[in-house]
Amino acid sequence: MGIEPGRLQFSWISSAESTKFVDVVNQVTDAIKALGPNRYLVKNQAKVA
Amino acid sequence: MKTITIEMSQWAAGIAKLKDAYRVWSPVRENDYHVFKELNKDALPDLDFSNTRLSAKQAIYPQTQKMFEYTLDESRPDHHIMHEAPDTTGPQAVIGIRPCDAAAFLLVQKNFNTPQYKDPYWVKAYEKTTLVGLACNNPCSTCFCTSAGGGPFDEKGLDVLLVADKDQYLAKVLTDKGAKLLDAAGFKDEADAAGAQVTIDALREKADAAINSEIATDQLGAQETLTLYDAPFWEEVAFACINCGTCTYLCPTCWCFDIQDEVRGHNGVRMRNWDSCMFPLFTLHGSGHNPRDTKIHRVRQRFMHKLKYFVDKYDDGIQCTGCGRCVRACPVNIDIRNVCNQMNRFGTCPA
Amino acid sequence: MLQYQDKIQAIAARLLKECKVDLVIGFRRGTVPMMNEPYVARTAEQTTNLIWDSHCGINLTNYLTDRKEKIGIVAKGCDSRNIVTHILENKIERDQLYIIGVPCQGMVDKRKIAQAVNGAVDQVIENGNEITIKGPAGDKTVTKADVLQNNCSLCKHRNPTIHDEMVAEPVAEQTDIDAYESVRAIEAMDIDAKRAYFEKLLEPCIRCYACRNACPLCYCPTCFVDEHRPQWVGKSTDPVDNMTFHFLRAYHCAGRCTDCGACERACPVGIKVRIFTKKLEKDCLELFGWEAGLSLDTRPPLDVYRPEDPDDFIK
Repeated sequence: MGIEPGRLQFSWISSAESTKFVDVVNQVTDAIKALGPNRYLVKNQAKVA
Repeated sequence: MKTITIEMSQWAAGIAKLKDAYRVWSPVRENDYHVFKELNKDALPDLDFSNTRLSAKQAIYPQTQKMFEYTLDESRPDHHIMHEAPDTTGPQAVIGIRPCDAAAFLLVQKNFNTPQYKDPYWVKAYEKTTLVGLACNNPCSTCFCTSAGGGPFDEKGLDVLLVADKDQYLAKVLTDKGAKLLDAAGFKDEADAAGAQVTIDALREKADAAINSEIATDQLGAQETLTLYDAPFWEEVAFACINCGTCTYLCPTCWCFDIQDEVRGHNGVRMRNWDSCMFPLFTLHGSGHNPRDTKIHRVRQRFMHKLKYFVDKYDDGIQCTGCGRCVRACPVNIDIRNVCNQMNRFGTCPA
Repeated sequence: MLQYQDKIQAIAARLLKECKVDLVIGFRRGTVPMMNEPYVARTAEQTTNLIWDSHCGINLTNYLTDRKEKIGIVAKGCDSRNIVTHILENKIERDQLYIIGVPCQGMVDKRKIAQAVNGAVDQVIENGNEITIKGPAGDKTVTKADVLQNNCSLCKHRNPTIHDEMVAEPVAEQTDIDAYESVRAIEAMDIDAKRAYFEKLLEPCIRCYACRNACPLCYCPTCFVDEHRPQWVGKSTDPVDNMTFHFLRAYHCAGRCTDCGACERACPVGIKVRIFTKKLEKDCLELFGWEAGLSLDTRPPLDVYRPEDPDDFIK
């Protein structure tokens, strides 16, 4: 679709895996920050005539 | 009024000059078909077309149009106050509009420009637009303008009628607006009006004769509205319909719109978008009730509006100019000509 | 084709006379060249209106959704696959249907025909594999294979996968087809090229929803684009809203699309919308070995869990 690799991530975390949850959230946050703000599929102001 | 001769050799320079004074819209080819686009600096109209896929209505009545803008930023004194969207565009010209599309504006005008109510967006845009028509020398097999109150050389609603004659255009000036436009383009070679009219008449007769499809509308006004509404043929007419918006969006005379607000951060716009009576959402009430909740209701509404309610309300013909776009583009071949004829003859003795 | 038509009419008349069905859904002759109209015959007399030729590209499964009658339906390969999907998704019951199977030899693309004669078409005459086009610019004869709808050129299931009666012997299935060349071309693009490609592709979209409404899969009582509390997608033809609509609609068709081509055929502005569903079709084939609508006995990949389902994307 034109979305950068890494911007969309999937993880499977059991409710018993709290440490994994923290790790994954931190990793994802860092990865997305490194990519910078999303510019694609973002609508700032509708295109109007 | 006079007739101007435009040699093909003058054409490009004239259009370029015109762009100094007008926003110029005209057909351009995109993929397999032509559409009306605002021409950029170097582009020329592509007038080698039968008709555009979408009508020219978007030049005056865009599919999405800003009506108001507002801010939600409470530090500003005018927060939450709607301001009418500023209109910064100057005069515009539509070059190469077919007579059916120009006539359509006159029908739409009955709704958007009445003595009591005026739609400011539509009225302003219409007033600043000069319509330069292109007569149809070769109408399509699905055109039926001659039985919808017009014709391939019809001058209604136009400011100039261009008639392509061999390697020149004969530009028949129909209004002062039209004269001004030709002047701005530097088209000044006046033709012998009588001689030009003979040429135009000959081409018109040929084009009129080439229209081989027609509708009958003479009984529509006399039909009893509720009887027609309850006619059994609607079920058959509606069966194939998939309730898409193709017919209404391609139609030059469909005028319905839906108002939407969109806010990003603190900045909001109130816009209107074309809407379609084919969509279930069109008449959905806030309560959840929908008075036209099945497709037969919706299909019937479209045809009854164009061919019966409009006829009764304005007593000036049908709300259709016979451009044939819906006939050509309907994905499931619902043909307004057939529907109109069925409505017209309904209840009459076949003899 | 004419033999098909005679047989369709005969079967339909018999079914209605014997009260095996309440109605038969097929096609009747259109009012313009290359267009036929979906039609319902309710009496044996009306079955003489039923026709068959290479312009029956509309997917008739669209007309079955939630109907309660006993229905005879004319079905080519792709329609039959959508009927299977409809049955699996409880939109119609198998024993409500009498499926009149038509071995299909592909449907003609009216845009390609118009291109062949550079514009207006007055009449199209079929003769086996030859198609003669009559237009104001003169006559032209083309080979049917050259003017097929793209999905028909790539079709591997021309014969109905489910039927109660066939109108003719099965036709040979096409082999050695590279169905996903167009998808691979896009997969090979870098991100910026992909974005530019999709933006350009959808630029002409007028949001008439003909693609969605022509699609037998799109039967949701309220489509996500029509939801308004909350409203997920803007109503204007803003590029982002256009893309949101097309991407999301395609995803809703994953594992269900039979590439019948109804969407692309219906589009009034000629957008090649199948590129989206084609990608998902390819993924379903590669990841799950799945093609939609081949059998009533297997559940679609997106509504079953199997331990061997690929999960490389999950970290």
